[in-house]
Amino acid sequence: MSAPEKESPMKQFSKYSVPAQAMIDAFKRCGIEYVTTVPDMVQIALHQILDGGESGLRVVHCTTEDQAIEVAGGLYAGGKKVAVIVQNQGFYAGINSLRALGLDSKVPLFFVIGQFGREFSNLGSDPRDSKRRVVFLLEPLLETLGVPSWRLEGPDDLPNIEAAWQASRDRSGPTALIVGHFVGW
Amino acid sequence: MTMKTLDACKLLDTHRGDAIVVCTMGAMNALDKLPVNPLAMACVPLMGGAASIGLGLALAWPERKVFVFDGDASLLMELGGLVSIAHAKPKNLFHFVFNNSIQFAGLGNLDTPGARRADMVAMASACGFDSSQRITNLEDLEARLPSVLNGPAPSFVELVVEYDNPSLGIENPAVEMTDERFSRMGDEIRRIRRHLGCDAEIRS
Repeated sequence: MSAPEKESPMKQFSKYSVPAQAMIDAFKRCGIEYVTTVPDMVQIALHQILDGGESGLRVVHCTTEDQAIEVAGGLYAGGKKVAVIVQNQGFYAGINSLRALGLDSKVPLFFVIGQFGREFSNLGSDPRDSKRRVVFLLEPLLETLGVPSWRLEGPDDLPNIEAAWQASRDRSGPTALIVGHFVGW
Repeated sequence: MTMKTLDACKLLDTHRGDAIVVCTMGAMNALDKLPVNPLAMACVPLMGGAASIGLGLALAWPERKVFVFDGDASLLMELGGLVSIAHAKPKNLFHFVFNNSIQFAGLGNLDTPGARRADMVAMASACGFDSSQRITNLEDLEARLPSVLNGPAPSFVELVVEYDNPSLGIENPAVEMTDERFSRMGDEIRRIRRHLGCDAEIRS
C-alpha cells in the first residue's frame, strides 16, 4: 500500500483561484469585445487563453499601461466594450491616463488588476494587511482616486466581475476588479 | 524651407474625407482655427496619449481612416506606442507627427530631448510601420499626400514645422488653464460616439 499523496503547498492555495475560463465567460456576459493589456503575472492563465485567439475577445497588446488605458479610451470612443487588464504596479504607472480619460473625461473604464507580489500568508485575509506595499497600497489609492473596486478572492466572488463592469457603465467612469491570487488553469 | 503647422493642418483637413482625427499639442491649436469637425477629438491634457487613442479608434472602425496629429515631445513621451501600433497593424491609421523640436512652443520654447538628432522616421520604420517618411515643406506635403493616404498603413509621417516665438515672460508671466481644457476630451469623445451612432451602448 502506497502512502497517500501529499498535496503540494502551492495547490493548497488554489481555493483562492478563479478559473480563467469562468472570468472569460463573465466578460462575455458583460458584452466585452476587447481587452487592452500589459500582461499581469497573476493572470497568466487568463492571458494564455486570450492569446490563444479562441475566446472571441480581441486582445490589444501595449508596451505600457498608459497606452492600454488610452487604447481602451479610443475603442470606447469608437463604440466598443473593453476590459483593461494590468497588474498593480502597472496601474500605478498609468494613473495620469486614468485621471485624464476615466476621471476628467468620464470614460467608463473597467480595470482588472492583479495583486502581484501578494504573500500567500495574506490569502484569506484583508489585502490591506499585506506586508507588501505594492499590495496594500492598491485599495487606498483607488479610494483616493474615487475609483470603486470589487475583490476577486475566490470563485464565490465571480459575480463581482459583472458588478464592477456594470458600475463603470452606470457611473460613466472607472471601476476596478482586484484579482487577489493567481487565476486558475 | 519648412512649413507652418496651420498650413499643414489646412491641407490635411482638405484630404480627410470621413476620417476620424485625434489631435494634440500644436496641431490641436491649429485645428481650433479651422471649422469644427464633429469627428475630431483633442487629446488634452494628456501629453503622449494621442497615438494610442487613435489606435483604439482605428481598431474600432477599420473601414474608416484615422488621422493622428501628434507632437514630437508628445510622441517621445510614449515612444513604445510605435511598437504597440505596429504590432496591432491597423491598416487605416495615419500618424502625422508635427516636429518643431520644441516643447511649449509659442509659450516658453524649451528644447525637446533629442531635438534634431533623434530620427523618428527610422524609429517608426524599425518598430514595424508599413510606411515611414519625413516631409519638410508644404509643397512636398501637397504632392505626396495622395500617395501617403492611398499607400500602406500603419503609416508614419514626420512633418518638420516652424514654431512661434515664446509669449511668456516678464510682461506676460502666466497663463491659466480653463475648465474647458479638462472637460473637452470627454465632450469630444461623446460627440464622436454620437456621430458614429454608438450611443445605444451608453443606455445598455
